[in-house]
Amino acid sequence: MSCERIQEKLTAYLDGELAGQDGSVVRGHLRECATCRQAASDEAALRDGLRSLPPVDPPPSLWAGVQAQLAAAEVADAKRPAWRRALARWAPSAPRFAAGALVAAAAIAVLWWRTQRAPDDAPGPDRAIATPAPAPAPAPVPEPGPPPPRGDITAELAAEPARQTEAYGDAAEELLALATEVRGTWAAEQQTAFDARLSELRGQIDRAPEGRPRQKAWRELIRYLQGAIVRDEIALAGGVP
Amino acid sequence: MKAAGCLVLALALVKTASAQPKNTGLVERARLEVAPGGRPIKQLTIENPLGDVKIEGYDGQSIMIETTKTAPDEDALDRLRVSLIPNPDGTVRILTTADGGKEVKTLARAAVKIDLVVRAPRDARIDAAVSAGKLEVINMDAGGELDTASGPISVRNIAGELSTHSISGTTTIAQAFGSVDAQTIASDVELDTIGGERLVASVSRGKIAGRRVRARDVQLTTTEGKITLEAEAPLRGRMVIASLRGDVDVKLRRHGPVTVRVRAARLDLGSSLGAARPGPDGWVEGHLGVKPQAQAAIVELRSRYGFVQFAVIE
Repeated sequence: MSCERIQEKLTAYLDGELAGQDGSVVRGHLRECATCRQAASDEAALRDGLRSLPPVDPPPSLWAGVQAQLAAAEVADAKRPAWRRALARWAPSAPRFAAGALVAAAAIAVLWWRTQRAPDDAPGPDRAIATPAPAPAPAPVPEPGPPPPRGDITAELAAEPARQTEAYGDAAEELLALATEVRGTWAAEQQTAFDARLSELRGQIDRAPEGRPRQKAWRELIRYLQGAIVRDEIALAGGVP
Repeated sequence: MKAAGCLVLALALVKTASAQPKNTGLVERARLEVAPGGRPIKQLTIENPLGDVKIEGYDGQSIMIETTKTAPDEDALDRLRVSLIPNPDGTVRILTTADGGKEVKTLARAAVKIDLVVRAPRDARIDAAVSAGKLEVINMDAGGELDTASGPISVRNIAGELSTHSISGTTTIAQAFGSVDAQTIASDVELDTIGGERLVASVSRGKIAGRRVRARDVQLTTTEGKITLEAEAPLRGRMVIASLRGDVDVKLRRHGPVTVRVRAARLDLGSSLGAARPGPDGWVEGHLGVKPQAQAAIVELRSRYGFVQFAVIE
């Protein structure tokens, strides 16, 4: 059997659908032909890759919407005179068709948005809204690609959260230096309370994920330090102004 | 399409203009309307590190989004993305980014821009973050959380709990009728007509200026900048206006008894409290109005290295 014929049968072979002699022929050919063996190996690897992708479920709202429209159509159907129901056996029900068409139109619109970078897409405003999805998106599959060029917008955007966090961190360190100066004037138990709270807030910062959560944790530390330094909250807490 | 507890994308995508060359390059505009499904839109989250965001509340139920992208050329324009993610819980997220791609030439961040103008239901809560762009919110009833890095924040006519944060963007809040919490590191905070229960503002290196403030709990703190406040003191209210190195200037309109405590490097308490003298702890304390003092508002003013001025507007 030629390589071309074998490769046509590879899909069925890998699916376990070739029984008896057909399977034996393909197996025998693969033992001898490196090209077909490579093709079979590639296809098997592709299947493994596809199986490892996260499942993409249709949004729950889609089925709920279809059910609601069908139910409404059935209610309307039941209220119709007998002659119209008889007619409906021969002609598609207009409301039902409309409901289906609406669902289909919404699905097409979403698909179109998701794939709107068509090659013949003329420069126009449509492309501004890129990826609407009617339900929480499944975990995105990272696309392996080359690292962004240095100085490119993608690199800058990726670095921005860390840059902002650093700015908050710098401000906190300045305040911490001031706090260290006044700390010496506090009673021992006030110093202990301050150190404990500081340690707790630093722990929160370390545990917070990069981005807005970590910035928020830094801001909380800044507020605490301002309260300690500017408003003497710690000193006043012990009745010592 | 009716969706149980979910949002539906209204199929309204209106072309307002096609790509047109300008001095700055290409400009592309688009408009989209998102209608609620079974559940009203209760939260709008926007993250736009690439430009300005303006959110305006209105009495409708849908969200209308206008995007304006600016880029030097067609390739750069193609890389700019706006994503819309409606969630079943009544939350809508709008995110902007720039695509990488495989064979892209280097594109400077300053060369492109995405501006968003969003009309949203007034009762939706706003959670918005921009970078160097302007963040503007007007006519919203459910408050929100607003973040910028260096871009200015401007909020007008807002109710509900509002929280703003910026590293170096000026924050301007006017006509706020819920609790306000504003924090910046190196920029000013301007407050006008604040009527919520609580007002907290803190700045490291910058000024705080407040006028027509009427909140029961007011806490304004700077490390280095001046604090200027013209406020009303409600019964049993509490104000703490404190700076480490900045001056403090407070003009108070009172409706009942007020207890004022001041501690500063230098101070001027005007005619009403001019006779008060510092106690052994360094605090100057005076009382305005007749008893019962149990209803008195407490005003605490302090500046460790600055000048404190206080006056009562009768």
